[in-house]
Amino acid sequence: MPLNMDLQAFNQRILPVQGRLFRLAQMFLRNREEAEDAIQDVLLRLWTNRQQLESYQSVEALAVQMTKNLCLDRLKSHHKQKTSSETDMVTMQAADVSPYRQVENSDSAGLMHRLIGELPEQQKLVLHLRDVEEYTLEEIEEVTGLSNANIRTILSRARQKLRENYLKAENYGTGY
Amino acid sequence: MALDIEKLLEKYYDGETSLEEERALKQFFQHGEVPEHLQSHAAQFGYFANARKEQPSLTFNHDLALMLDPPRQGPVRKLGAWLLRIAAGLALLLVGFGAGWLYQSKSENGAVLAAFEGKEAGQIEEMKKVLAFEQMDNTSASERIQAVNHSYAISDADRDITQLLINTLNFDPNVNVRLAACQALTHFADETAVKEALIQSLAIQTDPNIQISLIETLVAIKEKRAVDQFQQIARNQEVLDVVRLKATEGMNRLNADV
Repeated sequence: MPLNMDLQAFNQRILPVQGRLFRLAQMFLRNREEAEDAIQDVLLRLWTNRQQLESYQSVEALAVQMTKNLCLDRLKSHHKQKTSSETDMVTMQAADVSPYRQVENSDSAGLMHRLIGELPEQQKLVLHLRDVEEYTLEEIEEVTGLSNANIRTILSRARQKLRENYLKAENYGTGY
Repeated sequence: MALDIEKLLEKYYDGETSLEEERALKQFFQHGEVPEHLQSHAAQFGYFANARKEQPSLTFNHDLALMLDPPRQGPVRKLGAWLLRIAAGLALLLVGFGAGWLYQSKSENGAVLAAFEGKEAGQIEEMKKVLAFEQMDNTSASERIQAVNHSYAISDADRDITQLLINTLNFDPNVNVRLAACQALTHFADETAVKEALIQSLAIQTDPNIQISLIETLVAIKEKRAVDQFQQIARNQEVLDVVRLKATEGMNRLNADV
């Protein structure tokens, strides 16, 4: 492996992964523009540190980890910003949320997106990697550092929770 | 089939299915005939399959390519622009110096005078001196012709100059100097004084060359008042036939275009 990875080699290794990183970021951030912005950040970091990439077993696993961490960081800082300016905007936000939810509920894909977003962090990551990206258990292991059995348990919980919440939401929706 | 699917679903929720089995489930819920009691599972699998198709926008890829590329090309381009600016500045400076140097060397070459106007004034003075009536014996014909030819360079001649040329035309003993004066005067033929002088001169000139030259000039400036003079020449038996013919022709042409 050459020490200096040129742009073409970089593109060859990273571009196929780009879609996956984008979907992951979109799952976390639930916004297209923010997701693009986030993975742009990730790809730029990978490019500037391209010399060190050789020491990693899987660049994809690294990129997925970086994307996850970056998204969580951004969500945290978003949350902070919100709470700091929230006090006098509570009523406005309440008014904001309900039409937004109505729109999301209007199609089941939007509902699913929201329900997955509401899952615990680890559950949604594993569920996304497995059920959307179709990762093998070994690949998930590489990204998360969890054991095989652990992953299965988390996956099972996430799937059941998602179904449970979906049925709840549907019943609520029809009953409403 | 429905039984298999139910079994698979059970395995799926336990987290025990293989990737192949999961793909089969997605396939079934997207395209198969889904029984009523399994319908509630469809949304989940449909969502997974669709979510997998999501891609970043085309502009994203474009922006990314731009972002990754400039670190290598950017500085070179900037340097190029810098060099270009410096080169343009230097070129401008050189042109300025060159123009200044040329102008200076030119005015130094021009005998005594630095400014063009001064040079012209000097020429007029010299011309007047050479062509002065009382000097005629002391100057050669070629000197006087040269002096007459100086008048070509004068942009706006005053009455003095034209009078000097008229005098030369009428009284210079040398035919060639008179001819030169005649030709020089055609440049000032717009002035009424010059026109009249040309007509009068035609009456006193005896040299056929000058007569023809005057006739041509008067026809060229369409001087109608010359017609009478042309008639006299045409009738004059002493005048050369060629000149009389030329006079008749000029007369006809002046009468022709009203």
